[in-house]
Amino acid sequence: MTLEWLLKIFVDNWPMYLRGAGITLYIALTGTLIGSFIGLLIGVIRTIPKPEKGIKKIILKLVNMFLTAYIEFFRGTPMIVQAMVIYYGSALAFNINVDRLVAALFIVSINTGAYMSEIVRGGIISIDKGQFEAAQAIGMNHLQTMKNIVLPQVIRNILPATGNEFIINIKDTSVLNVIAVSELFFQTKSIAGNNFRYFESFFVACVIYLIMTLTVTWILRSIERKLDGPDSFTLGGNQMQV
Amino acid sequence: MEKIIEVQHLSKSFGTNEVLKDIDFAVNKGEVVCIIGSSGSGKSTLLRCINLLEKPSGGQIIYKGENILDDQHDIFEYRTKLGMVFQQFNLFNNLNVLGNCVVGQVKVLKRSKEEAEKVALKYLKVVGMDQYVTAKPKQLSGGQKQRVAIARALSMEPDVMLFDEPTSALDPEMVGEVLKVMKTLVESGLTMLVVTHEMGFAKEVADRVVFMDKGVIEEEGPPEQIFNNPKTERTREFLKRTLEKE
Repeated sequence: MTLEWLLKIFVDNWPMYLRGAGITLYIALTGTLIGSFIGLLIGVIRTIPKPEKGIKKIILKLVNMFLTAYIEFFRGTPMIVQAMVIYYGSALAFNINVDRLVAALFIVSINTGAYMSEIVRGGIISIDKGQFEAAQAIGMNHLQTMKNIVLPQVIRNILPATGNEFIINIKDTSVLNVIAVSELFFQTKSIAGNNFRYFESFFVACVIYLIMTLTVTWILRSIERKLDGPDSFTLGGNQMQV
Repeated sequence: MEKIIEVQHLSKSFGTNEVLKDIDFAVNKGEVVCIIGSSGSGKSTLLRCINLLEKPSGGQIIYKGENILDDQHDIFEYRTKLGMVFQQFNLFNNLNVLGNCVVGQVKVLKRSKEEAEKVALKYLKVVGMDQYVTAKPKQLSGGQKQRVAIARALSMEPDVMLFDEPTSALDPEMVGEVLKVMKTLVESGLTMLVVTHEMGFAKEVADRVVFMDKGVIEEEGPPEQIFNNPKTERTREFLKRTLEKE
């Protein structure tokens, strides 16, 4: 009986579910990508070697203080509260009505950025000091070293953690229903509000969430395997096709 | 003889620990200088100070007549003139063998990719690693890694090559292949400054041997003098201890 309801609800409402899932994936993916970019940027800034004197030292110190405040604030408060504060706060302060989707992307991105910057910092620390020195020894500056040597390795190393963030984002975008973003949870609430079948409606949503997270996990694993390549080298093997 | 690098009154302290004390020392063009001494004598620190991986606490480093410790001096450009080979190889793990030799040329020396690859292949051939251009560092043995690291440094076509205990992290059977490559470099007339524990190598190829002890240059001279007829008691003791092991 319940099974019939499940099927009926899905058949009747699949465009809404699909649209909701699409928005959820869109916010989660964009948020994770922008967040990772923010994290990498902050990681590079926070590892700049300390200048010994002058205005540069003061600027760097101020920037680092600002970054620390940013990270601590967004890691230390719930995203659901941030959503309310930013969405209604911007309306109150600047008298503008931000587009809900834009607000959602903004919140998820800077939230992910705060977490990712710590993950990136760990990734940079884990690269052995010798490679930094070797890069210095051939005349590279901090930015060149980061861009050509360190970050490519950091990106590989933090891929599992980034995947984790992505999955968390897929699930946590559901809290954005408080600012009425039409993601999967919000859509499901509407569906359930129409048919009063709360269990069945949300069970369908549950399965859709699971399908999304499992697919993402699987895709990331294959990317990792592809990036790692074989551990041994065969002379004249097919790896030689340059 | 033309001095390429001259170190004057160089000192270096880590906290209260004085590792180098008032070092005066020079490398001439085309010369092969080996620095020997026990662990903690400051020989690696001296090398690392010369290419500014460590910031000297005092003194001057003169490169082609210019004091590179001047605030105005472009240290990035200076470093490209010195090729550095590390004990732990320090290859770039994200790049393959060719990439390791190309990246500095393209990004720092602004050579074109084609030219850089040509130069890289030339030096990979010198070290006998030209068959491994697409291999990643993790796929290589220690000796192979070190030979690639030498080719990477050579690809920048530096004026001086610095070697920081290049064979100390290698399995005994791989030491030979690296020393052989280094000997071909000596024959090509390259200026080399080698920190080493390989007394046989120092004896055979060095124009001058520098013995360091407790942060000072205890004795320097041609290898025959240092190995056969050392002047100071400390040098004699050190050589006795080291050569007994061999």
